[in-house]
Amino acid sequence: MKGQANKCLSNNHMENERKLTIARSMAEATAQEMRRDDNVFVMGEDIGKLGGVYGNTRGLIEEFGSTRIRDTPISETAFIGAAVGAAQDGMRPIVELMFVDFFGVCFDAIYNLMAKNIYFSGGKFQVPMVLMTSGGGGYSDGGQHSQVLYGTFAHLPGMKVVCPSNAYDAKGLMTTAIRDNNPVVYMYHKSLQGMGWLGTEQGATVHTPEEEYSIPFGEAKIVKEGSDVTIVGVGLGVHNGLKAAKLLEEKGVNAEVVDLRTLVPLDRDTVFNSVKKTGHLIVVDEDYKSFGLTGEIIATIAERDISALKASPQRVAYPDIPIPFSRPMERYALPNPEKIVNAYAKMKEQ
Amino acid sequence: MDITIPTTLWDEDSDAVITSWLVSDGAAVNEGDLIAEIMVEKIQHEIHAPKTGTISISQAVEAVVAKGGTIGSIA
Repeated sequence: MKGQANKCLSNNHMENERKLTIARSMAEATAQEMRRDDNVFVMGEDIGKLGGVYGNTRGLIEEFGSTRIRDTPISETAFIGAAVGAAQDGMRPIVELMFVDFFGVCFDAIYNLMAKNIYFSGGKFQVPMVLMTSGGGGYSDGGQHSQVLYGTFAHLPGMKVVCPSNAYDAKGLMTTAIRDNNPVVYMYHKSLQGMGWLGTEQGATVHTPEEEYSIPFGEAKIVKEGSDVTIVGVGLGVHNGLKAAKLLEEKGVNAEVVDLRTLVPLDRDTVFNSVKKTGHLIVVDEDYKSFGLTGEIIATIAERDISALKASPQRVAYPDIPIPFSRPMERYALPNPEKIVNAYAKMKEQ
Repeated sequence: MDITIPTTLWDEDSDAVITSWLVSDGAAVNEGDLIAEIMVEKIQHEIHAPKTGTISISQAVEAVVAKGGTIGSIA
């Protein structure tokens, strides 16, 4: 089987092709920024010799040494708090919270220090730091290792929140995050990292230029154009949306798929303009359904011009339950392309 | 020339899984280019192009491969 073949690429592109996993593109952006700015350094658990549990700091300790690539004890409050202080003192720390699910032990450092100190100081201090953290389930790791928690972080003011769906965006968004003078929460999905046992989404491993580049925050990307329904998502949700679009195409439905790329700031204009064109909206989210991203996107349309909607919008999100450890039970609860197709059918029945 | 899994990448006799192809089937590659990643016991190893040419992929992502196994060829 020739699973990775992509016959759409031109020969010219193929000759210059350089596919990266998201893990590699995050490490490459970090290395490039560390070469141009001595103030950038990385802290976290197993980010040094191991190269990160998800591979996103591989090769860094070999080039930059253990002073700038600092393995920490299991002490999230201490090293995230230390990063806030370092950032206020002129450094540009990148810290890794190994699982976003572990936010509970360090949320004072994240939410009362990192997110608010610019405001509390009347702008006298800047907090240019990146908190990178993994999220997502699908590999049977239980309810304390499988959440995405996008809505939790995006809800709280003071932090920018980004969430790449592919290696090209991952690199550009990481570069922008490191250069930003505000705290940025960089949420990557485990099954997009190219790490095998965490799940494999081949669509995330794409051509990525070697030279440095940045992607502005607050610009969603239409990854597939369509005219009949708008499917909105982030991270793995974008790939579910693209697969659903293929299934819908077999039924003669032309779906448009929007990758939000950043949640804060949120590109409401692109979402609205797409829905205005298609008249139909399905929001896909691996986060819990209630009080989250799906409701926020729908509210964006309803507040601006409800006449843009020709049918009730639909949500394909995680049910409001703790994530099951059991693989079949987890699979049952996760969003997938078939659920998106069913949501479209339900919308048209109404 | 076949692209084979080197027998010296890891000590045990465990099989590996192809976690990523970093080139497309039919792409032009240069000798030494990083072309694939494989994983053994949660440790990732790199596969490099053994020669310059056009790659043909015979084992897809998620395929299980043994030491010395062939995963593609370069013509």
